[in-house]
Amino acid sequence: MILLPIILPFLAAIALGVLGKPRQGAIANAALSFVVFLLTLAAFTSPGSGLIHADALGLLFGALTGFIAFTTSLANIGYVRGAESRLTPPLWRLYHALCQVVLGATLLGLYADNIGLLWASVEIATIAATLAVSLPRTASALEAAWKYFILGGVGIALALFGTMLVYLAAQPALGPGLAAMSFSALSSHAAWMDGSLLTLAFVFILFGYGTKAALVPLHGWLPDAYAEGPAPLTTALSSPMLNLALIAILRFRHLMQANVASGGTAMPPGPFLIVLGLASLLLVGFSLSRRRDARRFFGFSSIEHSGIAIFAFGIGGPAAIFGGLLHMLLQTLIKSALFIALIRAAALRGSTAPGNYSFSHLRGLIHSNKYTAWLLGGAIFALTGLPPSGLFASEFIIISQTVQRNPWVSAPLALGLLLCAAAILRNIGPLIFGPAPPHTKPVKASPEMHLVALHLALVVVLAFAMPGPILHLLSSVSGALQ
Amino acid sequence: MNFTFSLAHLMGGLILLCAFSLLSQRRLAAMITLYQLQALTLSAAAVWQGFAQHEINLYLTGIITLALKGLLLPIALRQIVIRFNLTRAVESTMPMALSMMLGVGLIGIAVLVVLPSTMSAVSLTREDLAIALSVVLLGLLVMTARRSALAQIIGFLSTENGLVLAAIGMPGMPFVAEFSVALLVLLAFLVVGIFLLRIREHFDTLDITGIEDIERRGR
Repeated sequence: MILLPIILPFLAAIALGVLGKPRQGAIANAALSFVVFLLTLAAFTSPGSGLIHADALGLLFGALTGFIAFTTSLANIGYVRGAESRLTPPLWRLYHALCQVVLGATLLGLYADNIGLLWASVEIATIAATLAVSLPRTASALEAAWKYFILGGVGIALALFGTMLVYLAAQPALGPGLAAMSFSALSSHAAWMDGSLLTLAFVFILFGYGTKAALVPLHGWLPDAYAEGPAPLTTALSSPMLNLALIAILRFRHLMQANVASGGTAMPPGPFLIVLGLASLLLVGFSLSRRRDARRFFGFSSIEHSGIAIFAFGIGGPAAIFGGLLHMLLQTLIKSALFIALIRAAALRGSTAPGNYSFSHLRGLIHSNKYTAWLLGGAIFALTGLPPSGLFASEFIIISQTVQRNPWVSAPLALGLLLCAAAILRNIGPLIFGPAPPHTKPVKASPEMHLVALHLALVVVLAFAMPGPILHLLSSVSGALQ
Repeated sequence: MNFTFSLAHLMGGLILLCAFSLLSQRRLAAMITLYQLQALTLSAAAVWQGFAQHEINLYLTGIITLALKGLLLPIALRQIVIRFNLTRAVESTMPMALSMMLGVGLIGIAVLVVLPSTMSAVSLTREDLAIALSVVLLGLLVMTARRSALAQIIGFLSTENGLVLAAIGMPGMPFVAEFSVALLVLLAFLVVGIFLLRIREHFDTLDITGIEDIERRGR
């Protein structure tokens, strides 16, 4: 049962890759993504066994991935309609196949109970995403894809080395064989693992998967990939991939922390994560206000949120990890809604091709369409973490935990958060209410905008009135992974 | 048992030597030859480990390495060199002597990091791991020290050989053959990508300068 949502996208990718016109492909892609979403919900009843054995964390983020893939694929139908002439039909088929491959690989990584499979899934997702970035075939898209490939390839290589070291570190506890690669076995035997080897492994894992999670100083690929690729796939669908890498780091962090807690020789993982998290947050804080292209701008904001999550994992303890996971959950919903709205906004101004996303080109959206402008403004405002945005709840938890457990780092954290919020707020006014470029006519809103409203409503509900079962699931996960 | 050790170490040393020599080569053709030599040694090392550990998986890894990385990839790379006429020396970002000194430093770091932290592991694995980590780091150094995209790929290929060397030295590690295939897929995409995407102009001036073009146009 758990295998279905993983296998279906890969099979569908083959079919989408050979058959159909672009519009048919987009509709088939949406239908398939809906089925996969339902299957990720059904997975809660049968989490599988052996290699593919999802825990609560994997199931929760699997369902989130399915939901994002579904809403993104719905919005994608409108995108394809407007951009059909920019790619040839075979490239559109490849594009839709890649959407499914990214979805399948992300779910595989979330559900796998094996560090080797996790690595393979990240590799597949990276290759697919790189190919997607190169699709427009323009010089800058190829450059972005090349950069992504080289950085991603190095990250994957480092992560594999770390994976092998974890296996070696588990030898004293579990001996040769598959058990030494299974997360559940590793975490119950973490106390007997070789601590110093585990520390070495963690450094490689952190830099390897950290490249995929776009942590500073390994973030270079992300803004270019966001700005140059076909928008729905490389932006809206990218947050689940960042989540996959962050969750991988969280799981390995848990192994190390468990080793430390039981008197092992591993170094505490907190400082590594706090330093990388703060570096990401502060770099974005200082460079965000100079970005002129909206897709690049929000790409940098994704780096910021990866940094916040990693920082929360570094602080440690069940509450901070709860805050970090909640932050990832909400950020994913907001970011994909934002990009759906941004693509519609660019469509209102004529074209969704890369290069049409500069703030000066999009400014004064309210004169084009009120509904779109308000929702885009709402999504951008939600990113700042000011109430009533859901991120206020998660950032509040993280900050209060930081003050409690490690007060010295709360000052740079607060500085970074304020800088980012200020840079984002500064852009909302002109973008939404500013004077529009000449000859701007009011246009009708497209139905995709309801999806954005749905996402934003979900964010508020999840943050301030989280349904009991989800709350229970998330807090038990954070307790287990502290 | 002693013979197993010394032969495995000899081959590990040869692989490391090839990785280090990559730093000193300015010509792509010579780099490809060195890479080929490295891959051939690696396939021999994998088969030898398969013999020593009685693992059918490792024989498989050796054969895959021999066929694809020892023969097919170098042929493809040479085709690229001929087709794009890349016979002249490659620009480097740092003086040769500096990069070689850095290389020696990286090997030292690898040994200093790995040997003390693996006291409990079997000695063959320990030393293999130190060599493998050196090869990985040297490959990354080649990637940063060269300006040509193809030379960077050769650096990456060498890094990847280091990873496979580490994998075959792990006692009874599952999925070794699968890992090497998965890495090969990545490499194949890199090499095929060059053919298909025709980023030829970037070979001349090289990529990194090309990438900065994005920055100039304003983010």
